[in-house]
Amino acid sequence: MTDVVSTATRPGRPTISGVARRLPEYLLIWVPLLLSAAHLISFSLWTIWISFTPSTLVPVSGWVGLRNYTAVLATRNWQIAFNNLLLFGSAFVLLSLITGLILAILLDQRIRGENVLRSIFLYPLAVSFVVTGTVWSWLLNPGIGIEKLVHDLGWTSFHFDWLVNRDMAIWTIVIAVIWQSSGFAMALFLAGLRSVDADLIKAAQIDGAGPIRMYRRVILPTLWPITIAVVVIQLQFAISTFDLVRALTNGGPGIATQLPALVVYDLMFQRGLLGRGAAAAVLMLLILLAVLLPYAAWRYFQRRRAPHA
Amino acid sequence: MPTTTTRRRLLAGSAAALALPAFARAQGAVKPRLTVISQWSAGSDGAAITALGKKFEEKGGVWQHSPVPGFTTEMMNKLRAQIIAGDPPACSQLKGPEIAAWSKIAPTVNLDAVVAAAAYEKVVAPDLARLHKPGGKWIALPLQIYSTNMLFLSKRAMDKAKADKIPVTWADFNELAEKMKAGGIIYPIANGGTRPDDGQKFEASLAGISPTSYRAAIMNLDKKALEGPEIKAAFAQVRKIADWMDPNIGAQPYATNLKRFVDGDMGMMIMGGWAQGVLRNAGFKFDDFIIAPGPSDNTKPVFLLNADAFIFWQRKEPDLQAGQTLMAQLVMDPAIQTMYSQITGSIPVRTDVDLSGEGWSDGQRRTAAALKDAIANNQAVLSLAHNMAQENGLTAAMIDVITEYVKNKTITPEQAVTRLAEAVEGAR
Repeated sequence: MTDVVSTATRPGRPTISGVARRLPEYLLIWVPLLLSAAHLISFSLWTIWISFTPSTLVPVSGWVGLRNYTAVLATRNWQIAFNNLLLFGSAFVLLSLITGLILAILLDQRIRGENVLRSIFLYPLAVSFVVTGTVWSWLLNPGIGIEKLVHDLGWTSFHFDWLVNRDMAIWTIVIAVIWQSSGFAMALFLAGLRSVDADLIKAAQIDGAGPIRMYRRVILPTLWPITIAVVVIQLQFAISTFDLVRALTNGGPGIATQLPALVVYDLMFQRGLLGRGAAAAVLMLLILLAVLLPYAAWRYFQRRRAPHA
Repeated sequence: MPTTTTRRRLLAGSAAALALPAFARAQGAVKPRLTVISQWSAGSDGAAITALGKKFEEKGGVWQHSPVPGFTTEMMNKLRAQIIAGDPPACSQLKGPEIAAWSKIAPTVNLDAVVAAAAYEKVVAPDLARLHKPGGKWIALPLQIYSTNMLFLSKRAMDKAKADKIPVTWADFNELAEKMKAGGIIYPIANGGTRPDDGQKFEASLAGISPTSYRAAIMNLDKKALEGPEIKAAFAQVRKIADWMDPNIGAQPYATNLKRFVDGDMGMMIMGGWAQGVLRNAGFKFDDFIIAPGPSDNTKPVFLLNADAFIFWQRKEPDLQAGQTLMAQLVMDPAIQTMYSQITGSIPVRTDVDLSGEGWSDGQRRTAAALKDAIANNQAVLSLAHNMAQENGLTAAMIDVITEYVKNKTITPEQAVTRLAEAVEGAR
């Protein structure tokens, strides 16, 4: 992609023959870009429109104002889903960040077998969320999983029933998602650690910095951009989490582990309430924007500052 | 499957549209063809609809069944897509109040003539007939009936508890559960953890306590009945049941526990009649369990109706129209209903089918007798948990409250009553 862009930036006016020569490049970039943009924007607009109509089983026209929104916001399902999202989203992002960073730092110690270990930690990323959810639903089930294993080993007072405990069930999703995604954070951090200027490190060593001080004062500050990228990517994963929860707890016990994406699916396809489902989907989009807009603004200011640096 | 159907239809529609009528006239009649979608793909359900298709073919028809496995709602998503695309199946599975709701979004076939020709109406329970003729016209036909509140008793658990009396009222039921617990059965109730499972515990409790209140509150959504003392009593009974269940079941289906139930590690199960088919399919014998009507405080059986049905969508093609007529005749046929119910463990829709013969179980006979009694005493009501009493949106809103109550023991019955009334208000 970057190659195409760099060869495309040539000084001077584009001539007809120049355009013709570069036509494949234009087609390659603009056609998919326009198609996906049109796809994204038209369907988003359509969903926003549906959210203001009285649609139930099939889309119908009409105008009900904010009624779908007030109805969705008033349900316990949505309230529980929203609270869960706050808890789950922050736990997911923070813990996967910390786990990923620790793994990356440990792997960065030029140890033997690094490639094997890196593959092991990255491997869960290759497993689909449905598989992760199903496997963890077996492991965490007190009747057949970890609790039973420890009981059979002789420690009978051991208690680990988070999956069926409605207060703790949301944490089982956090556990599964950390297992799945901290490898991703690790890979990005590792790349960041490896790209730290060697001169900086040598200079710090000459100044007599120990390893802890070196990481804290020299290396980690250079990882800020990567950290922000990891946070934003993981957050949008968190907001749209669906298949993992569906396989692991299916929103249960009861409705204790509902998440917004489950509510949207439930309203649209289980309850046949397209208007309300669309309203819930638009609310999800707003949550996503609340995360992405500050990031975009941050990027914008970074870029404006960059030429002066 | 959909692509081939569409392609075939396109070919038939363009080229053969001109040739076919002449050809058909020469043949005397068109060859009946039927496109069907249903969720029945495996187990006894799949076997039953396959057998129905065989009968359809024996009568000279072309049977084109596209099963959509999974929950009913997944089948509905396919149906919705086909309706929006203007290509509905000639016939699809659909049941309860959804028949009325869906008939508003696409034209259906008026089956009045073929139903009248079979004199079918007088052998169908009135509440059930009403669901299949929204606007006064038959547009759908029920296929088989289940009761969602059958009581399954494990013979081995009864032996362990030294009990031999089948409970009739909820008091008997609670006493037996305590006895089983005292007899060393840790979880007297074998349960599933899914939403319909939880819903069934509630509807069985309420209808068993007062069928009148069930009809008013759940079927007619009467505000006063929804906040009545019977609802609170039903929630209290549900809590008792929940305390006797294995909490580790999570969100697994009831069938997970069938072995523990038959082995006598669990004692009782409140489940639909379909569990008989599942138990038999899993290799268990009729001697392993007893099936009886669910507890009823006025001692007369209460029947929570769940009926599968087919709805017929309007099509222009003469072969599909001929197929629809043939299918309607087959579905109403007592021999076909017998064949179908004997495979799935349900009971026939027709109240005039004799169940004394071979191939029927005691449980099915008891279910059919219970239905007759219940209809006579006006105690046959429509199941909430299985989408017979209300449309999906309202049902789901109510089940939300029930399933949360089953899993969260800090919610009191009083709170549950308020929440149920609020959920109904919010979903209307």
